[in-house]
Amino acid sequence: MMGSVLSTRARVWWAVITVVVLVGALFPVVSILMTSFKGPSDLNSGTFLPPQWSTDNYEQILSSGGSAQELFLSALRNSVGISLIATVIAVVLATLAAYAIARLNFPGKRLILTTALGVSIFPVVSIVTPLFNLWRNIGLYDTWLGLIIPYLSLTLPISIWTLAAFFRQIPWELEQAAQVDGATPWQAFRKVIVPLAAPGVFTTALIAFFIAWNDFVYGISLTSTSAARPVPAALAFFTGASYFEEPTGAISAAAVVVTIPVVILVVLFQRQIVSGLTQGAVKG
Amino acid sequence: MSTDTRGAHPAQPSRPEPDPAPDLTPDKKAKAARSDRARAEARLGWYLAGPAFVVMLAVTLYPILQAVYDSLFNYKLTAPDDRSFVGLGNYVVILTDPVWWRDFAVTFFIMVVSVVVELVLGFALALVMHRAIKRLRGLLRTAILVPYGIITVVSAFAWFYAFDITSGYVNSWFDWVPGIGPDLNWFAHQGTSLFVIIASEVWKTTPFISLLLLAGLAQVPGELEEAAKVDGATAWQRFSRVIVPNMKAAIMVAVLFRALDAFRIFDNVFIMTNGANNTEVLSLLAYRTSIGQLQIGMGSAISVLLFLCVIGICFVAIKLFKVDLAGARGER
Amino acid sequence: MRPLDEGETVHRSTRALAAALAVATIVPLAACSTGEGSGPPVLTWYINPDNGGQAAIAASCSDASGGAYSIETSLLPRDAAAQREQLARRLAAKDSSIDLMSLDPPFIPELAEAGFLAPVPDDVATATTQDVVQGAIDGSTWKDELVAIPFWANTQLLWYRKSVAQAAGLDLTQPVTWDQIMTAAQDQDKYLAVQGAKAESLTVWINALVESAGGQILENPEAPADELTLGLETDAGRAAARIVGEIGSSGLGGPGLPSEDEAASLTLFQGDKGSFMVNWPFVWSSTLSGVDAGSLDQTLLDDIGWTTYPQVVEGQDTRPPYGGISLGVGAFSRHTDLSYEAAQCIVSAENQAAYFVSDGNPAANTAAYDDPAVQKAYPMYDVIRQSLEQAAPRPQTPFYNEVSTGLQQTWYPPASVTEDGTPVTSTDFITAVLRGERLL
Repeated sequence: MMGSVLSTRARVWWAVITVVVLVGALFPVVSILMTSFKGPSDLNSGTFLPPQWSTDNYEQILSSGGSAQELFLSALRNSVGISLIATVIAVVLATLAAYAIARLNFPGKRLILTTALGVSIFPVVSIVTPLFNLWRNIGLYDTWLGLIIPYLSLTLPISIWTLAAFFRQIPWELEQAAQVDGATPWQAFRKVIVPLAAPGVFTTALIAFFIAWNDFVYGISLTSTSAARPVPAALAFFTGASYFEEPTGAISAAAVVVTIPVVILVVLFQRQIVSGLTQGAVKG
Repeated sequence: MSTDTRGAHPAQPSRPEPDPAPDLTPDKKAKAARSDRARAEARLGWYLAGPAFVVMLAVTLYPILQAVYDSLFNYKLTAPDDRSFVGLGNYVVILTDPVWWRDFAVTFFIMVVSVVVELVLGFALALVMHRAIKRLRGLLRTAILVPYGIITVVSAFAWFYAFDITSGYVNSWFDWVPGIGPDLNWFAHQGTSLFVIIASEVWKTTPFISLLLLAGLAQVPGELEEAAKVDGATAWQRFSRVIVPNMKAAIMVAVLFRALDAFRIFDNVFIMTNGANNTEVLSLLAYRTSIGQLQIGMGSAISVLLFLCVIGICFVAIKLFKVDLAGARGER
Repeated sequence: MRPLDEGETVHRSTRALAAALAVATIVPLAACSTGEGSGPPVLTWYINPDNGGQAAIAASCSDASGGAYSIETSLLPRDAAAQREQLARRLAAKDSSIDLMSLDPPFIPELAEAGFLAPVPDDVATATTQDVVQGAIDGSTWKDELVAIPFWANTQLLWYRKSVAQAAGLDLTQPVTWDQIMTAAQDQDKYLAVQGAKAESLTVWINALVESAGGQILENPEAPADELTLGLETDAGRAAARIVGEIGSSGLGGPGLPSEDEAASLTLFQGDKGSFMVNWPFVWSSTLSGVDAGSLDQTLLDDIGWTTYPQVVEGQDTRPPYGGISLGVGAFSRHTDLSYEAAQCIVSAENQAAYFVSDGNPAANTAAYDDPAVQKAYPMYDVIRQSLEQAAPRPQTPFYNEVSTGLQQTWYPPASVTEDGTPVTSTDFITAVLRGERLL
């Protein structure tokens, strides 16, 4: 158990368990990483490790003059921009809503939470057709805004839930205490409440960003050019050395590049993400 | 999958709302003041929460109503002039078509198998993390969060390339397993395709379920377990008689959310088989019909049916399995 | 209380720094974008993915126009059906930003019938069909009118390993039949490389077989949906089904057959069990570059021979598959005149020849085959030109998507195809789909 001195046997067991979990969790990532370093002629080598290490695939998507460079970089720009904006809007709206839910008593609170729950179980495919039809009529098809709006259906419900759970744990009495001590309401809010609420908001933003970053259905249905096409959808546009050849290498390299930020965020913020994901389940 | 709500929130035990500040003034005045304040509070509440509420409705309620309307027409985008009202005709065609029922069965199969496997694996992972010493815990959590954060499409490609008969290495690694050899084409048979699809789904989403279960584990009173231990209960007895019953609500909610998520599976299937060899799922059928063939009417009807399926699963879970969504919502 | 926490180990400042770091890894990549300039009208050309050849042509034609227009390319997906989907979606929205489109011929009738293609001016039609192979003109025609400009034209050849053919005693200087190459491959214990994946390439194969046997998949391709008649329940349809079914069920196609596309066919053909393959000419440049990179042996290259597509019925001329790309001009474009001007520049014989060499996609214009660079890069240029003259396009119908997807549903996997059963089931299924009685 936690903190106690471990016997040798327990140590061995823990080592084995840790290795098993690490391999299980990371193997597919390493697998595509290896594929991304295979040169065009080694892609069908049928081996795990590249017979010869090559950076051809990365040059294809990143270096100027690479055949997929423009395609990939514009997709990356779209993905980053659209996901960030959708995250920010969702978090701002959700912060206001969650504050109201956690602190105020008003009729309809349940309705809002139920709605958030309902929206979060909604099948995306069901609304993509009408959205597509509406978007092309009002000119939102293939624009950033045309993706940001539907992304809110993915990011907003979860943000409301996570933040409401976070906010319930904030000892709001402190605010009043600070005011009693002579702070103005604004000072009390800024000095006491903001620092307490910020970690929750940040965590929520991370989770919302992951979800927007992951989208595929909206991405392939509501875009058609590099004006708004996000990375997951753009992977289907890569091409091999000629029209009929498999773009295995370029896809693998692009997959690795878009996975790097995920790994960095996870390594840095694993504790926050875990607490965010489990917040609602834990007694506040 | 991208239709993802991986963080949807289970089992928040209810908690009384903070009381309005105690009021000691005489009765009548107090009542008036209280109702004034209540009205002001309600107004403020809606000012703050209203925008989020409106946005949520706008991005889902409007489209689904539009889909219901469109589903009553025979309407193909490349022949807009031939649009005609067919009433429930599209629904009749779909529900009498073996394709719908085949896709329904495949989707249901994927949902059940992946949820069961994830529940077992997720529990094991949760127990490991629960017991692990601090230093290991961070490492383990970081590792399992990688599949959680990775893009589903990327994960689908990773699994696809590993198993693919032309570029993969799985056949040569596992040729000692009976039935696996250099000639096994994983994506040429229903069973083997579904195996890879489900494996990638399980890999990607087990972390989510295990974190929910971990949170549930934290709620099990340590004393109960200790007491059972003193009474001579075996590890399995402690698990099945003490831990599981105390986590029942958390488990049921986690299962429901994962089940709904798995039912909407799309990305992996789209990338790996695109529905070949009887691996098509309902989301893919809806996508192919409406976006691929531009049959807006028929596609909308499939979308509406898919939506009704999701509601049906929720209904069954709540009525039959008594999943406590009120608890999950954190409100009563 | 947060039981999962282990205390605030990450300070807020560290955290902010870390977030900045994470963002920093992606933002610089995303930041280098291309700016848009003002100046001459910009024509947007939606291209299928290639090796960069179309973008190069766009640049050179923009320069050659002397500032009259500049062409910008925008990429479509790899998959032919997905290309149609993207374009049809935008055109249905009366999108004025579509000036030029690289179109796969089978999808042209659908777009033409819906009025999505701007009419081709007569002088342009005359100029751009000069010296062009008949298959390419047929593929760009709907209801006896040219509706798109032939750009490049593709056809499949029969590729063979000389060693295998020799061992089997097969004389490939004479036309061969499917039965002959199937027997030869079987005798030599080799695999036959064909496209059995559930994709457009399967329709290409079925169509070539049916046409080579003297039949047609659709007997009246210009009819409305509910009056279309299929020609599969015929001797030709049954002959096609027999060949697909035999290759599938005998294992002759190898274990990869149900997921085998053009690229996978090539890999199979290059391997130890390679014997015969039907495929597009890209396989030649691809094998060449493999040899250059050192992953393939020169001996393999020397072992590869080519001839025209196999016959289905002995003595009856074969009809090889026809593919390629034609240029369409969007009906809602603001610059249709300029677009046709640009299209004429794009499809010039020189550009077609250069594109053939750079991207491996054969020219539709026969003049391009006289280019020494083409003859050097593709020693089989004469067989390609001849094959293009014989090639049969896939059914020219506005309901091509339904027909093709219907075929892919019923003729897949190849091992399940039977001579007597499949023509009947596929006819029934596709007919029901066209009448709106079945889902696809």
